[in-house]
Order: sequence, then structure tokens, then C-alpha cells
Amino acid sequence: MTREIDARGLACPEPVMLAKKAIEEADDCVIIVDNEAARDNVCRIAKSQGCTATVEEGAGTFSIRITADGGPGKTEAGIPSTGPTVVVFPSDKMGQGDDELGTVLIKGFFHALGEVSPKPDTLIFFNAGVKLTVQGSDVLEDLHSLEEKGLTILVCGTCLDFYGLKEEIRAGTVSNMYDIAETMLSAGKVIRI
Amino acid sequence: MTSGNTYLIALFPSTSGALMAEKLFKREGIPHKIIPVPRQISSDCGVCLRFSVSERERAEKTLAGKVDIQDICPL
Repeated sequence: MTREIDARGLACPEPVMLAKKAIEEADDCVIIVDNEAARDNVCRIAKSQGCTATVEEGAGTFSIRITADGGPGKTEAGIPSTGPTVVVFPSDKMGQGDDELGTVLIKGFFHALGEVSPKPDTLIFFNAGVKLTVQGSDVLEDLHSLEEKGLTILVCGTCLDFYGLKEEIRAGTVSNMYDIAETMLSAGKVIRI
Repeated sequence: MTSGNTYLIALFPSTSGALMAEKLFKREGIPHKIIPVPRQISSDCGVCLRFSVSERERAEKTLAGKVDIQDICPL
């Protein structure tokens, strides 16, 4: 039975929470949202739950059909021993101490990240860390080449909003705390910079 | 990293020298990137400035008399 959920007009993270609940309760559901951020977030949560998401675009709306694959993506209780490597950036500097030094170090870190292996799977930016992903950041080029290499970059939407940088984002995807928390909790390794 | 472009790196005796050089490059509008000193050059945790070979003259002129340069070498 297909369950239909109308999440139009709802503010983030409401659509994602409804989607998550629907995925848990039904094998097949359709979520209707009215903006691109909600569409992307709903698709992401579907994928992280091992489901397939197909988007149909209507007049100012997106219908996302989510079907369970029963694939390996289903989250299970317990701490995964192996899993994606996640690097989190709570600041636009590396380490605490001198800010100027911290700025140089973070630039060096991103350059090195492009050169070394293994690479992390996901980078998460929150609080002042989001400044690294916006217009004028010195590490944008590095972030773009990491994205090209397949890394996922999640940027805290609340934080962008707080710093008035929502329109300035130039790398990664605007994300929410549920996504961020879930990505960290399902990681094999979380590295905090 | 970027193909079709050959880079030089400027090495400095201190991190603050590298920072000062970065500021001067910025002021002059010389395209550059601050990067960790490549492992094959030094095992120190140092930073250096990478810039295009074609900017060599301008780079040297910009830093002359202002920042001590340890070396400029190809990357």
C-alpha cells in the first residue's frame, strides 16, 4: 500500500522527519514537498535508509516516491565496526590558539586531503566551519575537487543562516541536524578537526 | 595537481615568513596557494607558497627585501 504524505509548506526538518517515519512504517510511500532543499534532504534520508527515491517534478512541487530495496543500507542497532569515515569541521580554523596560524593550517589540511589516501567519505561543516564552504573561502577549489572525487559534503543550514551566508554557499549541500547526527552515528570513524 | 601548469614553491625559514609572503602575494594579486611543504622536500610540518612558474619574476620581486626566502624550487 502506498502512503502519501503532503509535506508542502512545512519548514525544515519537518519533511525529513515525516519521510523517515513513513519509511519505517511502510515499504512504499510518496512525499510531496515544495522546495529543492526539502527534496534533496528527503532523497538523502531515503538513500541512507537503503531505499530508492524517484523524484517527479510538478508545478512548484516535487513528488518523491520512496521504495524499500531491503538493501544493506538499512540501519541496524549497535555501533558499526566498519563504515564510512566522516571528518567534521566545527571551525574555519585548525586547532585552537592563534587564528592566523589556524587559518594556514586548515588550508594546508585541505590541500593534503586532496593528495593523500584513504580519503574520507563525508565532510561535515557546522558552526564557523561553514565559512569554509562559502564565497571567498580559500579552500573552495580543494572542496570542489574533493566533491569531484566523490566525497559528500554536508553543510549545516542553521549555521549558514545564523552567519547570514545562506546565499553564499559554493560547495557541498545544505543539510540539517538530523542528517548530520545520523551521518556521524552511522560512521565507522568520526574525525574532528 | 592541476595538469598543464607547472608550479614552483617558495620555502621560508619560518611559518611567519610564509604568512607574510602570502599577504604580499595577495596584495600584488599573484595567484598562489599555501600548501604543506611536500614530504619529499622536508619532513617538517611546514607550509610553503605554491605559484605558477610564469609568476617567478613577479614573486621574487614582491618578496625581495621583505621576506627571507629559504629556497624556490620546482614542485
